[in-house]
Amino acid sequence: MNATRRPPASRRVVDGGAASGGPVLELRHIAKRFGATQALADVSLALRSGEIHALLGENGAGKSTLIKIMTGVHQPDQGEILLAGQPITIATSAEAQRHGIAAIYQEPLLFPDLQVAENIFISHQGRGLLAGWREMYRRAEEILAALGVSLDVRSPARGLTLAAQQSVEIAKAISLDVRVLIMDEPTASLSAHEVAQLFRLVRDLRDQGVAILFVSHRMEEVFDIADAVTVFRDGRLISTRAGADVTPQKAIADMVGREMALLQPRAEVPRGELLLAVRGLGREGVFKDVGFDVHRGEVLGFAGLIGAGRTDVGLALFGIEPATAGSIVLDGKPVTIRSPRQAMAAGIAYLSEDRRQLGLSLPMSIAVNISLPVLERYLSRLGLVRTRMERETADAYRRRLAIRTPSVDLAVAKLSGGNQQKVMLSKWLNTHPALLILDEPTRGIDVGAKAEVHAIIGELAAEGIGIILISSDLPEVLALSDRVLVMREGRQMAILARSEADQETVMTAAMGQASAMGEAA
Amino acid sequence: MIWLQRHIRPEQIRELSLLLLIVAAVLIFGSLIDGYYTSRTFVRISTSVAVIAVVAVGQTLVVLTRNIDLSVGSIVGCSAYAVGTLIGHDKGMAAPVVVAICIGIGAGLGALNGLLVTWGGVPSIITTLGTLAIYRGTLIDYSGAKTVTTDSLPGWLVDLPRLNFLVVGGLDVRVLVAVAVGVVVLFQVATIYLNVGRTFYAIGSNPDAAKLIGLPIRRTIFAAFVLSGALAGLAGFMTLARFGNITVEAGRGLELQVVAAVVVGGVNIFGGSGTVTGALLGAFMIGTLEQSLFRLQISEFWRDALLGLLILLAVASDAVILNRLRALWAKAELKLVRPPAGEAPLRRALRDP
Amino acid sequence: MTALRGLRRWEGLLLGLLAAVVALSIARSPYYLGVGNIVNLFQLEIEKVIVVLPMTLLIIDGEIDLSVASVMGLSACVAAYLFHIGEPMPVALAAALGSGVVAGLINGFWVAYVGLPSLAVTLAGLIGYRGVARILVEDRAIGGFPAWFQALGQQPLVGPLTLSILVFVVLFAVTCVVLHGSGFGRLVYVMGNSLAAARYSGVRVRRIKMALFVASSTVSALAGLLYAARLGSVRGDMAGGFELDIITIVLLGGVSIFGGAGNLVGVGLSILVILNLRNGMGLADITGNTQTSVIGALLILSVLVPNSVQALNKTWKGRET
Repeated sequence: MNATRRPPASRRVVDGGAASGGPVLELRHIAKRFGATQALADVSLALRSGEIHALLGENGAGKSTLIKIMTGVHQPDQGEILLAGQPITIATSAEAQRHGIAAIYQEPLLFPDLQVAENIFISHQGRGLLAGWREMYRRAEEILAALGVSLDVRSPARGLTLAAQQSVEIAKAISLDVRVLIMDEPTASLSAHEVAQLFRLVRDLRDQGVAILFVSHRMEEVFDIADAVTVFRDGRLISTRAGADVTPQKAIADMVGREMALLQPRAEVPRGELLLAVRGLGREGVFKDVGFDVHRGEVLGFAGLIGAGRTDVGLALFGIEPATAGSIVLDGKPVTIRSPRQAMAAGIAYLSEDRRQLGLSLPMSIAVNISLPVLERYLSRLGLVRTRMERETADAYRRRLAIRTPSVDLAVAKLSGGNQQKVMLSKWLNTHPALLILDEPTRGIDVGAKAEVHAIIGELAAEGIGIILISSDLPEVLALSDRVLVMREGRQMAILARSEADQETVMTAAMGQASAMGEAA
Repeated sequence: MIWLQRHIRPEQIRELSLLLLIVAAVLIFGSLIDGYYTSRTFVRISTSVAVIAVVAVGQTLVVLTRNIDLSVGSIVGCSAYAVGTLIGHDKGMAAPVVVAICIGIGAGLGALNGLLVTWGGVPSIITTLGTLAIYRGTLIDYSGAKTVTTDSLPGWLVDLPRLNFLVVGGLDVRVLVAVAVGVVVLFQVATIYLNVGRTFYAIGSNPDAAKLIGLPIRRTIFAAFVLSGALAGLAGFMTLARFGNITVEAGRGLELQVVAAVVVGGVNIFGGSGTVTGALLGAFMIGTLEQSLFRLQISEFWRDALLGLLILLAVASDAVILNRLRALWAKAELKLVRPPAGEAPLRRALRDP
Repeated sequence: MTALRGLRRWEGLLLGLLAAVVALSIARSPYYLGVGNIVNLFQLEIEKVIVVLPMTLLIIDGEIDLSVASVMGLSACVAAYLFHIGEPMPVALAAALGSGVVAGLINGFWVAYVGLPSLAVTLAGLIGYRGVARILVEDRAIGGFPAWFQALGQQPLVGPLTLSILVFVVLFAVTCVVLHGSGFGRLVYVMGNSLAAARYSGVRVRRIKMALFVASSTVSALAGLLYAARLGSVRGDMAGGFELDIITIVLLGGVSIFGGAGNLVGVGLSILVILNLRNGMGLADITGNTQTSVIGALLILSVLVPNSVQALNKTWKGRET
């Protein structure tokens, strides 16, 4: 991961006439207000051609608002935007595109029913009357080939993997004559290998003189790729430093406004008795031959690339997509799990990676969400809900996990990502599980909340709960796990003890071969 | 298999199998009914299909954008009745003017739907459920429940349904049928080869993405409703010509047949996929069933039960079989290869826009 | 919370509308609020109003049932057919209710267990069940039912109340408790908000959907029989088009077509508004067609007005800051 950082020397002059390293897009004293919230205050930022500029900040720091202003989704209340020295307005996203400003988002925004080629060119303005299929196919094939991606440009985008979708998004940006490329957490759902591939592309773009604004929550990545780092806090720009001058500690201190420790390894907890024994678990066409043990009080990390089948194992253990082969022994008793109900009865809980769509019912209150899996516990003999008891439970969890909310009657949608994550944790702890499967428990939440979630995981393990931790955040897996199970393409590659597991051994296993490491970086 | 997968999409397989189903149905009815394979049967089926197909084309456009237009039956009634009355007062009215008025009335009513849906923010199912009642109710009130009769219509209009466009191998293709085929071909071509046409698919396929890249969502949905209304207006004219006698009840319940045709034709009820040609095939399937069962006499009452079953089959095959096919196709296509080594290949792509 | 307040405002609007309609009607006819007239008011639309109740649950759950009116027709036709070929009336009635259960199981199977969109499945049901009804009675009108059956439909049973009204009152109370107090009702709301989240929380979503569809069809079958009893004769096309009126009442009551929001207070008010409006317009010699237009317009306005108010509010606030 931390391999060759290219020297920022190979910059070239771009068509726009901006001098090498000169600002292509400049924001001056931008302010934006939504109701009572000052989303941005007096922000000045310059993006230079041939430079990768990283943007850091906790959730709500104003990063998304800034991006939306640059792409024409929002209009600034104050301040001006200069493109190659000329003041411009960006009233619509179409106008942003005309200025050569393109954005790639965390979730690829493709049209599943349209073909790959169409997806690449759909946003082109003034495409004329005719769709021009032949030309579109030819150019799409060219661009994808240049990206080193082999996709049938005639196939619909439906069913592409996340990585393939991300490639199409990049092809889309390249097909526009892009001068400024904004990448909003493009790596959030990519595996390490895919991230490496993406970074190779990003560096290539930079070397062509494109100005790149890169937003990410993954600190190591940022320092791997950025030429300059800007930190936002509470809608204000706190610092802009050259990539070489800034350390993770400095950046985090700027982000949270105080010095904060980096990931500390979780304290060792004595391993309890055997809780779960899985042998030869498989699901037709998805994963096979997965076998492992989880002891009480143990955190078993699941590492691997996206699509390696880690979430699928979780879904199988929880009965959402039941396994078609293998055995599961829980507390010495063989169990069959064909539905979430059966899994819950066996003492298994699963926190989904997709908090907003699958994990929580956003419009419903905190209390309703927490009681949901075990609603029968809150029913009177007539089947009516005892709301007072429900609220008491929710309040207990609010105190225990420090969920910041004025009331447990508040809709979950109103909470921040970190607090939502805590509500989801409460919801499943309330089922009193013996085995807790956490799927990406810190995805998309800010640094402070992340640390809190890590502490909670430690406490739960200390209480004797067996935990399976699925995470694409490798430092997180390494810091929290007692052992790490590595998967690759639906197969279990290795189970590494804490002493053997480091970034290199895990990635080697995840790539399936030792030599892959070099290529990935 | 690879060749097949490169050249035929799962959606096209869906349409091909519907075509086979129609052929099978025709063969079965042919063996059951004496004298089935005649030009008369063809004329009867094709004329009844023509009206449904024209409206189904408009409905397809609306459904592609994740909306639905339930008011088409009422629009057909309004257009047929209004023009029938007008022409009764002035028999000298020129044919193009008559057709234009029909289309105009339909487009106007469709525009009202479109306005309410796009700028009013009222979900289409609610809007058109409402205008279904309003258009029909207003028609009945203003007409005083009188009937347009054949003898009040000019000769050219009365003769129109029996007029042949051309005769192919002993099959009479009526002008009305030719109009329907023309409409289908026009919109099929437009939805494939025009960028405006692709926008209908894009919006239904992923409205969020469409909004983000600045596709004209409102304008497109508005256009879909106007076109749906206009085509329903045209269908009103065809209904007037076909039946001659028009009551205020004309076109009532047509929306169900049209939605059925669209669904059977493989247009996804949740938008984004399906074709105008598919809708035509759906209409043809329904028309064949209807007219053929009518000939079987005893089974006339079986029509609706069979139609219900057909819709269910169509949707079920969509969900179960099509998803399998898609997965199979996706598997064959999805092979990410390693990047070629050496000089950054992007350079070429950037240099050669 | 704001959603809740929005609902309150919506119910206030309905209440105001109701008061206006009733006041106008009283001005025209002083006997308007008489017991006889009120019973009459309900009696004329009672079958639709009964089916409104399970439909409310289904729409809050995020589904829809377009086949209700066809199931009403089917059940009446099954009863009439069996009676016609000589079966005793109680057997015919039981079979008719059974046909409703079966229709609900069919709808529920395709939606809940196969995962097809309910709009399409119940559209097939709307056409298909009506087709089966037609196969049974063809184009006849079957009448001559036992006197007790017709009496059930037309004679008061308790005080001035007929059986249909009693059925409605009991069902309304039961639905209220189920939707707003029970765990089942809670799950209906959760599913309407996010089906996937419910599934990932271990909610037995299929079973609940199945139960809702079976309830919808069974209640429709019952309503169909009550309708047959009131009319005294059965035709293949009876209750045709009722689904639109039924869905209109539910949506006018503030239930979101996208599921997850709405309550029975709103729907109850909406029932009263529609009944009084129709009756009031009837008294004012406004024809049935105009009444239909007015209700159609009301349906659109029920969404358009809050939307416009919201938009206006936004621009007004925007100017202020």
